[in-house]
Amino acid sequence: MERDNHQEGEAQGVKICDPPCESNPPADTLATSLSLLGNHMFPDPVERNNSTTVNKQELSNPILSDVTEEEKSVDAEPQSNQVTKLEAEEAEISECQNNASSQTLDEGTEDAATDNDRSDSGEFVVAMLAKAKLEEQGIGVKGRSSPLLEAGIQESPAFMSHRDEDVTAESWRQHRKHVFVLSEAGKPIYSRYGSEEALSSTMGVMMALVSFVQSGDNIIRSVYSAEHTVVFLQKGPLVLVCVSNSRQTEQQLRGELLYVYYQIISMLTQASISRIFEHKKNYDLRRLLAGSEKILDGLLNLVDSDPSFLLAAVHCLPLASSLRDSLSQILLKAITPNLVFSILIANNQLLTIVQEKTVIEDARLEPADVHLLLNLIGASSAFQAGEIWTPICLPLFNPDCYFYAYISYLDPPECTVCLLLLSTDKEAFYAVAECKRKIEEAMTAQNSLSLIAKVQSYSVSQVGVSDLRHFMYKPFDVPDNYRQLTQFTSPEMEAPYSSEEEKMRLLDLYRYMHSRIHSTSRPLKLIYHVAERETLLAWVTSKFELYTCFSPLVTKACAITAITKLLRWIKKEEDRLFIRYPQKYSTTPNPSKSSRGGKSDQQDSTENGFLSLL
Amino acid sequence: MLMISPRMASGMQEKQYTPSLLNFFVYNPSFGQREGEEEKKILFYHPSDVEKNEKIRNVGLCEAIVQFTRTFCPTKPAKSLHTQKNRQFFFEAEDNFWIVMVVRNPMIEKPNKDGKPPTVEYQEEEILDTVYGAVVRQCYSMYKLFNGTFGRAMEAGGVELLIQKLEKFFYRYLQTLHLQSCDLLDVFGGISFFPLDKMTYLKIQSFVNRVEESLSLIKYTAFLYNDQLIWSGLEQDDMRILYKYLTTSLFPRHSEPELAGRDSPLRPEVAGNLLHYGRFLTGPTNLKDPEAKFRFPKIFVSTEDGYEELHLIVYKAMSAAACFMISASVELTRDFCEQLDGLVGPQLTLLASDICEQFTVNRRISGPEKEPQFKFIYFNHMNLAEKSTIHMRKTASVCLTSVHPDLMKILGDINCDFARVDEDEEIIVKAMTDYWVVGKKSDQRELYVILNQKNANLIEVNEEVKRLCATQFNNIFFLD
Repeated sequence: MERDNHQEGEAQGVKICDPPCESNPPADTLATSLSLLGNHMFPDPVERNNSTTVNKQELSNPILSDVTEEEKSVDAEPQSNQVTKLEAEEAEISECQNNASSQTLDEGTEDAATDNDRSDSGEFVVAMLAKAKLEEQGIGVKGRSSPLLEAGIQESPAFMSHRDEDVTAESWRQHRKHVFVLSEAGKPIYSRYGSEEALSSTMGVMMALVSFVQSGDNIIRSVYSAEHTVVFLQKGPLVLVCVSNSRQTEQQLRGELLYVYYQIISMLTQASISRIFEHKKNYDLRRLLAGSEKILDGLLNLVDSDPSFLLAAVHCLPLASSLRDSLSQILLKAITPNLVFSILIANNQLLTIVQEKTVIEDARLEPADVHLLLNLIGASSAFQAGEIWTPICLPLFNPDCYFYAYISYLDPPECTVCLLLLSTDKEAFYAVAECKRKIEEAMTAQNSLSLIAKVQSYSVSQVGVSDLRHFMYKPFDVPDNYRQLTQFTSPEMEAPYSSEEEKMRLLDLYRYMHSRIHSTSRPLKLIYHVAERETLLAWVTSKFELYTCFSPLVTKACAITAITKLLRWIKKEEDRLFIRYPQKYSTTPNPSKSSRGGKSDQQDSTENGFLSLL
Repeated sequence: MLMISPRMASGMQEKQYTPSLLNFFVYNPSFGQREGEEEKKILFYHPSDVEKNEKIRNVGLCEAIVQFTRTFCPTKPAKSLHTQKNRQFFFEAEDNFWIVMVVRNPMIEKPNKDGKPPTVEYQEEEILDTVYGAVVRQCYSMYKLFNGTFGRAMEAGGVELLIQKLEKFFYRYLQTLHLQSCDLLDVFGGISFFPLDKMTYLKIQSFVNRVEESLSLIKYTAFLYNDQLIWSGLEQDDMRILYKYLTTSLFPRHSEPELAGRDSPLRPEVAGNLLHYGRFLTGPTNLKDPEAKFRFPKIFVSTEDGYEELHLIVYKAMSAAACFMISASVELTRDFCEQLDGLVGPQLTLLASDICEQFTVNRRISGPEKEPQFKFIYFNHMNLAEKSTIHMRKTASVCLTSVHPDLMKILGDINCDFARVDEDEEIIVKAMTDYWVVGKKSDQRELYVILNQKNANLIEVNEEVKRLCATQFNNIFFLD
């Protein structure tokens, strides 16, 4: 099977630059793979061929826009055909990457764009990412035929210091948390620190360990040493490994790896990843993820510094409910068919979110999906210039289909307030851009931007409890009747938690409390922890969970009074601290579009009739 | 009308399996480095009937894991590997000599209908690394107590001798490992001290001095009462492992006569001696027997420059036991044993009844025993003193605790939390079952309390623990 692929590739005049499958050591040759620990590079037995002669295979299938549909027809298609198509794509990408002249670039992207116009989402991403790569190189792309290319943007060359690190240096070993992503064939896909090439032997060993344990009909979970915890997570054809000396628990680290996996899914979809590896086991996924390392880097930094990920809840900016309502109303008035979510963000915190009715009935937006969206926006400065239209998958909503995200900042050049519109229709760029125009107009009319600019996060001193230093409060489904986006509220971290180290230390304490109180085998109801530098209390009830940090000398009686006061204060401020009532709207389904745009559209057509009866 | 569900009808029930020992092996990666000679790395493997290639594979995995973790910290390699089905614990006992213990996770077997094989669900979060890591280290310490280091065997007789010794020792020792009942006490590996008034303590000390003076061959002495230590001349770490051996292995094997009580008639074989109740627990069972052998177990204890080999004589009268250690270079004779028996027997019998009297008086003063509202474990890292009201009696075969295993694991969790920072701390948690568990760490001391007042609030729990500290540990300061 593998050999067939190669022959096919050569016949097409497109060489594959992956080393053959030997990088995936069979379980019984572990000893051999061990020897790899010594050398730091894999030999690369197949020479790279940069020939740009691409034989484009025209496919005879009809237009496919639905992933699931397409999956079926792919299966029905002769194997060789599909393989060729995949390789043609690769060649196309390498063409784009290897030519500096804008002429060729235009051709390349145009090819991709036309491909995407008539074919599946997988190719669409290819085009998208090829473009992203060009942006990395600082080359603006002007397009003609696709709205995708309207979003021509400039970006300075990526800052790559972490990639250049010496992986044998002590400083490399000292990192708080390493994250590696590799394919089942042991091929490096991503490393947080150090280049994938330099780490290919280490990653080869990781894969060898995974498959060795697997061969004993078992699953490797983790390795503990005095300083490090190594956590393994296998998701489909990808293996994710975390090496941490942060003292976080295995479950938390695995949760973070899952976020990394989801972020990759959000760019490629689960279906296309499995399809790629089904056809070519040792495919180098970095080709498709080129340029997106920054998004993963950004995610990992965010995971380390933002408790939203730990709590699996969204942090929204405290806002007078009248202002929040007026913003929601503005969003509600600017809708278009197939628009499903309108989200307003300020400084990486949620201002408001409105949803299409059928979507909210069916499912709510998962916090994890929101985190990925926020990270995507935060990680790329590219979005700061003009408008962007990009396919994005929300893995918890549906790991196999794309939404199309319109992202634009409303207050350039400060770029703090960002509008995110999600549509299920990839052709809807102009319609959605029109929504933005309406929103912008309304916000100018109501002077919303300057009102938002004045809004700040709050200080714990506003609660009025002297020994209380910090807290995190996460209510469950408030108010009860609405299946809501899970949220939490937390004040700014102030002295003595103002330095980065101290902030991290407090977060680590919260992480430890969280792990104990939510332990899978021995959950607890309450933890009261007195240490030399602070006193912590964690409490989980059926209505909320609460983590508080007090000065170390607080008495238990004082702490309990403080918590009563705090809960009362939160109740009073509820409308300001949380998005209380999710706003819904209904767009008329456009029958002509219903065959396009994935699962959500199908839901439209099947459920709308029923819903209109309610 | 009674409805019988199909599950009940077929009488199928979930089966719960406790953690169990899968493998235990000792290997040295520097041996058998040439390809095809991997088997030479393996010095001991349990169970021995595992197929050769399987052994080599499992050792290979350990090597790989250890090697892999050295990528991230060369000096601190892997200590444990977690998989879905089991946990492996790695311990480099001596340079390049690795001991590995593989423990199967506890599991639940759920029967399936239609004759399908049952579904097995592994409980991956039940085993505490700290507990089983300590068990592996204990295995090595015990080997070392009776055999000296691996290096010593290598010097004396090469790999062959080491393999022989490992085989001989672990074959029996592993059968005494009861992995399902290991808990926090294994992490501490502490010594339970017998509480005593000054007078009685001085009596014991003068007894030890007199014996050591009369029998100058004796190098070290240890004195225990009721399985609790009163006096020891050994280094702390040696005493710790010797204590473990005495209380979990030697004493339980000889406990039957004592259980009958001190008024029971003398055992027939020592009926000739009416002066005292003393007898040898190691060495000759009956001095009068002309066939009696005067061989004693040999132990290795640390000295300033390495190790010394000693004869271990354990002599017991009623609940009092004295251990005498004599250099192994001396040959012990019938004469010596008779002399020891004649000297120690009567005095030890007298001391034992003194202590017993003292003990009952103290008990009476402290009032009638009623079920307290709390149970606790105390451990002091400085003198290894440990006290538990949770464990009824720890014997070789079974460790009885009076609390739910989940609560014991919460104690283990709190112990791990204390190890995170080197600070005084207090942790109070409320379990899902509404039990309150309190952990306090102060200086080198740790105290764990389980309260069974389920309706108490945090402040009441705090008061209760304060009372406990005041009565039981009035001279120890715990962070409030």
